[in-house]
Amino acid sequence: MVEPIFDYQFRLILIGDSTVGKSSLLKYFTDGKFAELSDPTVGVDFFARLIEVKDGTRVKLQLWDTAGQERFRSITKSYYRNSVGALLVYDICNRASFEHIPLWMAEAKRHIEPHRPIFALVGCKLDLVSNGGHREVSKEEAKAFADQNGLHHIETSARKGTNVEEAFRSVTQEVYNRIQSGEYKVEDGWDGIKTGFTRPNGMDFNLIEAEPAKSSCC
Amino acid sequence: METSDSECFESADEEIYAENENKKSKKVAGSPPSKEIPCETEHISYLKTEETKNERTNILDSNLQVDEDKPTKIGLSNTNEPEVITDNNTSNIQEEDEVNMWDEDEDWEPVETKTEIKPSESPPLTINRIWGWDLSAMLNAATVGVTAVTTQVSQGLSNVLETGIGAPDPAELARRTTQEEHTHDAEITEPSTNSSTNLFGFGNLVSGVTQITKLVETTGNKVILGGLDTLETIGKKTMQVLQEGDPGLKKKRALLKIEGEKPVLSHILREAKEKAELENRLLEEQHFARKANYESLFDDHQGLVHLEALEMLSKQCSIKLERLIESQSGRELVELQETMNQIVELCELVDDDDELEDASEIKEKLDTAVSEMVINISYDKVLTTRKEAEQWLDNLHLGVCSELELHEQAIDTLAQLTALAVERYHKIGELLLIKEHRSTADEADSLVQVTTILTALIGNMATKFSNKLSEKLSDSTHKDHINTLITNVYFESANSTSYLKNAFQLLIPVLQVGAI
Repeated sequence: MVEPIFDYQFRLILIGDSTVGKSSLLKYFTDGKFAELSDPTVGVDFFARLIEVKDGTRVKLQLWDTAGQERFRSITKSYYRNSVGALLVYDICNRASFEHIPLWMAEAKRHIEPHRPIFALVGCKLDLVSNGGHREVSKEEAKAFADQNGLHHIETSARKGTNVEEAFRSVTQEVYNRIQSGEYKVEDGWDGIKTGFTRPNGMDFNLIEAEPAKSSCC
Repeated sequence: METSDSECFESADEEIYAENENKKSKKVAGSPPSKEIPCETEHISYLKTEETKNERTNILDSNLQVDEDKPTKIGLSNTNEPEVITDNNTSNIQEEDEVNMWDEDEDWEPVETKTEIKPSESPPLTINRIWGWDLSAMLNAATVGVTAVTTQVSQGLSNVLETGIGAPDPAELARRTTQEEHTHDAEITEPSTNSSTNLFGFGNLVSGVTQITKLVETTGNKVILGGLDTLETIGKKTMQVLQEGDPGLKKKRALLKIEGEKPVLSHILREAKEKAELENRLLEEQHFARKANYESLFDDHQGLVHLEALEMLSKQCSIKLERLIESQSGRELVELQETMNQIVELCELVDDDDELEDASEIKEKLDTAVSEMVINISYDKVLTTRKEAEQWLDNLHLGVCSELELHEQAIDTLAQLTALAVERYHKIGELLLIKEHRSTADEADSLVQVTTILTALIGNMATKFSNKLSEKLSDSTHKDHINTLITNVYFESANSTSYLKNAFQLLIPVLQVGAI
């Protein structure tokens, strides 16, 4: 299993209450699978996936899946610092998990400082709603909160794969845009953004480029 | 730049090419005395290429400077060369320096005499410029001719002309340049000692020169007069060809370069093909290199990120401890520091050369060791990976598996086992931190045992792979290569061990936090 070559690596962290579906979301995103049963995350787990942003730049996402359980709170906060993006995850059918989002966001901001990460508000378990479940957080309400705080909002289902890709893609694109605009930079001592292995020249080598006059050797 | 430019230039037109060849051969004969006329072809060819470069620069220069009506330097001594050559080419400069050195040579009288002869003949302006170089070279030829047979000079020219065709390969050219430098060095020192054992016969040459200086003066004239005609023809022809489709050569050098590229499609294609082949080979090597790169594989198996997370955890604990130590004083501080030190001592690893037997024994040992920590952690993944690698080795048909594949598998197994082990250290750290009743001494003891078992396990795995590689040694022609691979497996095994020990060290603050 050799990982393909990438241009950038972004570190994203998933935070939110226990059992909202962070690990399932990540599992679907990286594996394309949904696990009916899974053990609660211990401390932090890692996932990785390569995606391409609009201009074809390849970005490796290093995804930090934090434990939502209260007992790990003191540990997980050590892990925030090197993140360039944070997905605030709540369960559409769990009011409390949505109400805790401002706390999660404040916590993340505090620990990621002085860096300013991209936040996204991600609602999970959309399939339960369409399956007759009880929605406790309206889309409008979540959207209003997101707009108010300048977040991207999306509702997803890891079981059906709805919007999972989009949730990560929007954050990745936004981080990339900010790199392009110069707002984000690759910095020593901060691992939120790293440059990856560059593709060797000549991958798309063609004859026209073989101008002998351009091969300087002196 | 110079090399490729001149190459394009050279191949731009068949005629130019031919003309250049002509001149090259003149040059050969007219090279510094060290290059004796009865020289071997190899000798000739490299001189030729060197000088041809300069020549071309001069031609270009003269073309560009015709309008400026700069005073022409006919038969000028080489000291004037730097003005003529505008290209900052190092080899040109070298050449100048070297020639100048020759000028300063006391035995080099003939050059001076000849120089004065030249202005009497005044060929067309542009051509004169070209001659600026050629003539001085010809002068050198004159002296050479003295030691050999004077008449041979012109004959030699035509001989060389026929043999010395072929575009210089840039790499070859570079090699020759350095070669020539060495040659020059050698020659420069030799004359002073005037040793009779001169490698190049230069000592003899010098004495010959001094003995027959007068002869040089007379015969030199002959050579030059004869050579001038040929040179003039070459120069004219060259200019003619150069001006075809570009009257007056008003286009600058840049344009000339581009023009030169057009007609040599075959050249471009050949270079492209070579380049593509090289790229492919590099890519293939890179592919293998990356495939068997321990660090990349360790990262692929999430080892690096777990190590990093463990570092964060460790740092967090250290900060907590530091704050505590700062807040303490007196006896309490001493006691606290003692406790901290005791924990560090508990974590000292002893070299244990215990041989690992079978899988079940390893599992048993690990389980016992881990149980002391009283946390819910299992090493099943590590054990499964180890078992799978063992099975892979058992089912391996050495005939089908190349040493590279075997090595790749070895490195991947080591990287994966280490990554899994590091991940376990990280989890242990997290679980210990949320554990309610800490028992630091037991935890430390347990971790020492676990680390010892894991490092032995990894060393054992490396040995197994190395043994397989060694089996390949007997019927392989690349013994050195295989030995390198074996060394690499052991190296990465040591690397793995240090990753594990490092991970264990990172847990010490976690243990210390538990003791307060």
